[in-house]
Amino acid sequence: MTAGGYFGRALIVDVTGRAATGTPLDLDERVRRAYLGGVGLGTWLLHRLAPAGADPLAPAAPLAFVFSPLVGTPLTTSAKFAVVAKSPLTGLLTDALASSQFAISGKLTGHDAIVIRGRADELSVVLVDSDGVRLEPAPELAGLPAAEAETTARERFGRGWRTAAIGPAGERQVRYATISHDGRHAGRGGLGAVLGAKNIKAVLVRAGTKVAVADQAGVLAAARDLRGRSFGPATAKYRELGTLANLLAFNAVSTLPTRNFTAATFEAAPRLAAEELHEMRGVARNSCASCSIGCEHIYSRKGGGSQRMEYENVFALGPLCGVSDPDDVFAASARCDELGIDTISAGGTIAWAMECVERGLIDAPWLRFGDGAALLRALDAIGAREPGLGELLAQGSRHAAAVVGHDSIDFAPQVKGLELPGYEPRSLQAMALGLAVNSRGADHNRSGAYEADLSGELDRLAGGAAHVAAAIGTEDRAAVMDSMILCKFLRGVFTEPFDEWAALLAAVTGWDVDAAELRAVARRIVLAKRVFNLREGATAADDRLPARMLSTPLALGSGRVAALTAERLQSMVDGYYAARGLDAAGRPRPADLAGLLIDG
Amino acid sequence: MARVSISDGAAAGIVLAGGRSSRMGEPKAALEWHGSTLLHRTAALLGRTVDGPVVVVRAPGQELPALPAGVEVVEDPVEGLGPMQGIATGLATVAARAPIAFVCSTDMPFLHPAFVQRVLRVLADLDPAVDVVLPVARGFPQPLAAGYRTALAELVAKLVADGQLRPAMLFKQCRVARPDDAELLTDAPLARLDPDLDSLVNVNAPEDYAAARRRPAPQITVQRYGALASGGHHGPQAVRAGTLAAAAAATGLVLDRHVVAALNGDQISRDPALPLVAGDVVAFLSADAGG
Ligand code: SF4
Repeated sequence: MTAGGYFGRALIVDVTGRAATGTPLDLDERVRRAYLGGVGLGTWLLHRLAPAGADPLAPAAPLAFVFSPLVGTPLTTSAKFAVVAKSPLTGLLTDALASSQFAISGKLTGHDAIVIRGRADELSVVLVDSDGVRLEPAPELAGLPAAEAETTARERFGRGWRTAAIGPAGERQVRYATISHDGRHAGRGGLGAVLGAKNIKAVLVRAGTKVAVADQAGVLAAARDLRGRSFGPATAKYRELGTLANLLAFNAVSTLPTRNFTAATFEAAPRLAAEELHEMRGVARNSCASCSIGCEHIYSRKGGGSQRMEYENVFALGPLCGVSDPDDVFAASARCDELGIDTISAGGTIAWAMECVERGLIDAPWLRFGDGAALLRALDAIGAREPGLGELLAQGSRHAAAVVGHDSIDFAPQVKGLELPGYEPRSLQAMALGLAVNSRGADHNRSGAYEADLSGELDRLAGGAAHVAAAIGTEDRAAVMDSMILCKFLRGVFTEPFDEWAALLAAVTGWDVDAAELRAVARRIVLAKRVFNLREGATAADDRLPARMLSTPLALGSGRVAALTAERLQSMVDGYYAARGLDAAGRPRPADLAGLLIDG
Repeated sequence: MARVSISDGAAAGIVLAGGRSSRMGEPKAALEWHGSTLLHRTAALLGRTVDGPVVVVRAPGQELPALPAGVEVVEDPVEGLGPMQGIATGLATVAARAPIAFVCSTDMPFLHPAFVQRVLRVLADLDPAVDVVLPVARGFPQPLAAGYRTALAELVAKLVADGQLRPAMLFKQCRVARPDDAELLTDAPLARLDPDLDSLVNVNAPEDYAAARRRPAPQITVQRYGALASGGHHGPQAVRAGTLAAAAAATGLVLDRHVVAALNGDQISRDPALPLVAGDVVAFLSADAGG
């Protein structure tokens, strides 16, 4: 045991063959303080443990479940963990966050991270508790959705175990398969395929110890305060309607990507809006473990059943594919959950395919924008990796465009291979930069620069120096929140975030950490991710948006034209490199590498 | 409402604030109209209408009421030479940054962006040999609600230096398009949003001002989104409001750090003094939209 908040070690689990071995890896205070936990510590672990250039689906590729110093404390929204690996979709670093009891039980196995590598001989589950690790064959779980695998595994091993499981798509290594826990997903970048490639259906963890905090009274007081603030106006949107509240608002400001980014407003948006569904279909609210906000909104489906809906899955399976019937979107979301695939990448890849069909590049005349039944059929084909279209689309839009050719890459809605979330870059130009330069690829959680675009403080249609500063600011704040870890939906309650976060960390860990140190941590984490990607072959050419975004202006609902040219984006990227201390090719200066603590 | 820019550069806005206000008896720039001063309103309206710079030209040492962020102020070098001096100063200030400009006075409470756009579009679309779009509407030529090529700056300055202080002297020396009421109103948005060309009404005397104040604030549409729509506030609502703050108040909101507004689905603002005009649609969103 070390000072508060940590155990000071990771567990490296090798699942090669028929038995698992566990080896501890010391995480000394220098590393912990440099990277905190979650996404930051996961990035450091990948630097240490991932062989350079290894195939993400090879046995040697590590997959890290990384906890954080705040896990296990009563601080609201802190029951979170990161899953970090090299992505089969991007070939670069990916890190997904999820919240569930898995975070608490996983950490209370006595480890700050659990890293899986190797490949089991047969479909298995790996169990970790404070007594050690073991591998158990689990053929009975084959083909099950993650939620059923979770139930079945807990019936077999006992309810004290918490699981992280993959669905059938993960077993088949669909490049954007997810890992699920308590109905939440580590969604982006294909982490489920990485686990599937190891023949691991589920990781089970069981709590067996306790973790100390440095200042128990201070942490309790902070938890009370934060909980009180979590009921205020800054989180009202999440509590009252959930993230789906974005849909109608984004439609009103021409930033709702529609029909594979050919439009930014969707005529049927009101049918899919939270406001509408809430009145007609709202059935329940739910929350992650240890959360006082409770942003999950669950809606009833016609014909029975219910479905949790978020903005991103409705955007991707609705407007992006031109689908307007809420029941079709509900069904498609449910299908993604059953198969265990990322809704954004699934929707983006299918929307791209629908456009390819329109242009005569893919021979699947049934796959039309707006056809909900076709959307479901495509999802099933992907989940099964059916020869032909299913196999093609299971690779994601970038890989599929390389197969289809004919410049279809120009309208593949992806950056670095990761499909774009529901934020139109041409009408949100700070976000455009964030999407282009982020290490994970097109992503709204690691780079929330849309906040600046929607703040009224800059002209969202005229990207420039202010947009660069805004994108860096949000990227830095995300790096700290994702590493300490707190839910980003809490971000609005902090008025001086770095100071307040430093105070929380000080109470938990006993460190004399301040805002300046945390700002340095943020920069280090962002840099470490970039350096990992450079090591894996990324270049400045990866910090780009699809050609469509740069060559085709978008007419807004207002009549104004949103044009994001290649020159404007490049000038923002250059500004970003300069502000981050990178050279013109986006590479760090050698002197800056020393602070990353990644040499041996 | 779209903002105006043209293919080879931005359009500028120039407000002449330096008139003597002798018939009014007090500075017109500072007169209040539905929540803002006439000058603030005019400058901010141009700001939300053009892509290029907005410049207020004042008399030497003239005190001005507060202006919107980003608006530049320049001074006439000499007092009392009338609008030609102001036009010369204004055009010279923006010439390097915008090829065309809309020039107006400060006393036009009903100026509508649709009118500004109509004039600038005529200028942008015409043969470059045409230098000025001079509306001849509501019975008069309107040199202070007109579009000018900024390359005229030198010619106007020369005329002023030669003592030729009437705009008519300028129009003799350059090519002028003179759209009348009917021609202006062939533009559908203008015909819908300002059918009587009230944009051209100016207030010169106290009775004009009193009449302008008797007219209600513009009719606009507000809509609340997301959490702001909870409690039965869904859907569009027609209200009268001259500023964003008034629009927020009319729908029961306060523009605090949790609320932003999108104007006509386009510019996002939390500026309480942002002027509104007839036909505007204001969407109120949670400031933390996204996520
Ligand atoms: S706000 Fe939502 S996503 Fe965040 S911890 Fe709470 S329930 Fe989970």
